Amino acid sequence: MKTPVKPAIEESGDAMTRRRVLSWLSGFGLFGSLIITALSNLIFIKPRATYGQPNRFSIGKPEDFPSGARVSLDTRRVCIVREGDKIAAISTTCTHLGCIVSVSETGFSCPCHGSRYDQDGNVTGGPAPRALPWFQISLAPNGDIEVDKDTEIEAGNYLRV
Amino acid sequence: MTNQTTTSPWKTLVALPENIWRSIFRNPLPSSDLGRASTSFTNFFLHLHPVKVHRNSLKVSFTLGLGLISFFLFFILVVTGILLMFYYVPSTTQAYDRMLDLRGTVAFGIFLRNMHRWAAHGMVAAVFLHMCRVFLTGSYKPPREFNWVLGVLLLLVTLFMSFTGYLLPWDQLAFWAITVGTSIASYAPLVGKEVKFILLGDSTVGQEALLRFYVLHVAVLPAVLSLLVAIHFWRIRKDGGLSRPTEEDAFPADGPAQVEIVSGPAVIMATSPAAAAAAQPVLQKRQYGIQGLVRGPFTKVGNVPDRSVFAWPNLFMAELLGFLITVAGVLLVSLYFNAPLEEPVNIMHPPNPAKAPWYFLGLQEQVSYSAFWGGVGIPTIEVLLLLLVPYIDRKIAGVGRWFARERLLANSLFLTFVIVNVILIIIGTFFRGPNWEFVSPW
Repeated sequence: MKTPVKPAIEESGDAMTRRRVLSWLSGFGLFGSLIITALSNLIFIKPRATYGQPNRFSIGKPEDFPSGARVSLDTRRVCIVREGDKIAAISTTCTHLGCIVSVSETGFSCPCHGSRYDQDGNVTGGPAPRALPWFQISLAPNGDIEVDKDTEIEAGNYLRV
Repeated sequence: MTNQTTTSPWKTLVALPENIWRSIFRNPLPSSDLGRASTSFTNFFLHLHPVKVHRNSLKVSFTLGLGLISFFLFFILVVTGILLMFYYVPSTTQAYDRMLDLRGTVAFGIFLRNMHRWAAHGMVAAVFLHMCRVFLTGSYKPPREFNWVLGVLLLLVTLFMSFTGYLLPWDQLAFWAITVGTSIASYAPLVGKEVKFILLGDSTVGQEALLRFYVLHVAVLPAVLSLLVAIHFWRIRKDGGLSRPTEEDAFPADGPAQVEIVSGPAVIMATSPAAAAAAQPVLQKRQYGIQGLVRGPFTKVGNVPDRSVFAWPNLFMAELLGFLITVAGVLLVSLYFNAPLEEPVNIMHPPNPAKAPWYFLGLQEQVSYSAFWGGVGIPTIEVLLLLLVPYIDRKIAGVGRWFARERLLANSLFLTFVIVNVILIIIGTFFRGPNWEFVSPW
């Protein structure tokens, strides 16, 4: 009768054998890489370049906007306001749900859910949660006015031209 | 007989049609119970049905056929949707023209589009009503909890399907409904802005959004929906068929019935003589063997009155009738009503008021009070409550009956939820005019 060979691996108890550690590590690595591969789809579907409107654009010379003008550039979703030598760009995207607000007697009003704003874009009624943002506006070297929709500025900050 | 030793080519030829037929359909039309049973489980399309089905499951007044109607409408949507794909181009410059082509030049184009549109509206309604039926008959109780959860997910996917399809015609209605809808999503805390950006592929609704919604609508969501439907159907079988009242509730005249329930593991293969002998008394009482092999607590044995009928032809004929009625209904509506098509997208002039499709108008009405609470907070709470209903309400009483007295509280709460939402939809549809101001429809 052969003497029983001592098992190479101690299966009993909580003892961390080499085999168990290795299988945990490799399992962790394999499943981890699987999960990371799946998560990479989230990065894939988030576009790095967009093909729509640029957020920084020029809108022409200051002379195109006479004093007192409130010109809504709907394709750009911005309203150019000029008072004397002060000029500013106010967003016309409703802060409620993204409709385009129209210029009204008292300021702006939204056709979708009835939000109303005053001349400076402050909310005066309706469900809008915030005032319309003002965008950074600057003079380019060639004399054009440039609007940067990526940079919001405090309301009442006009550019002097 | 063709298997004779001397088969002449002529005889082979004569027997050819029958041989081909028999190789496809293994059983003749059944004339015996054995035949009816084997028809159900040897046919690929029929084998997801049980061999026998409880009479209660066939009662139209119990199910109203709403689950089946939802499925048939989905089938119609897949067929008409694939046909429409032959002519549709998901491009901002072409999509609207293709809609006009469907009206003007494509044979049956307008008809197919009508069918697709009305079946979609019908499916949203049918899925919702199906949920009401399941709730009001207490059918989400154990062991059907998870199938209820799947059902809630199916409702959400159906709504998302509908939402993504809404953009594709690229008309004013489409553009502004999606602008409003995705803005609602951006109110979600933390991830809202990202979700909106990923959904649209841009900061505003444009070409990227159209392409993304198209892919979701024709590939991703139908696949998800089909998978969920398959599991949903599978679970019906595994959870013991549709819910039904207990014997005492349904047939009080019979007196208290002796319901014997085998809750232990079913004997699939008796490996030892002792085990086979132990299983014998159970097996002897059973009239049809195949259900005895099904594991679970619903295997019916013993001296329970048999309230079931063969699926062939009872269930299959009922399903066929349901299918025919559904198709006929969609055809009829599509003949008389054209799917709406508004002006092509004009980014500069939102229609006033800009309204979402009717089933989202309750949401839009909520949103007009508070964008976060109406659009995100309350809907999230509602969905969570729906998902958790079978895990909160654990009392097994009043299952399988409409408006059971034992379920007065649960049913009242649910009906309140339904009625509030219906009222919100009615207000949003008929009582809201320009600038979302209250108007009277009269």
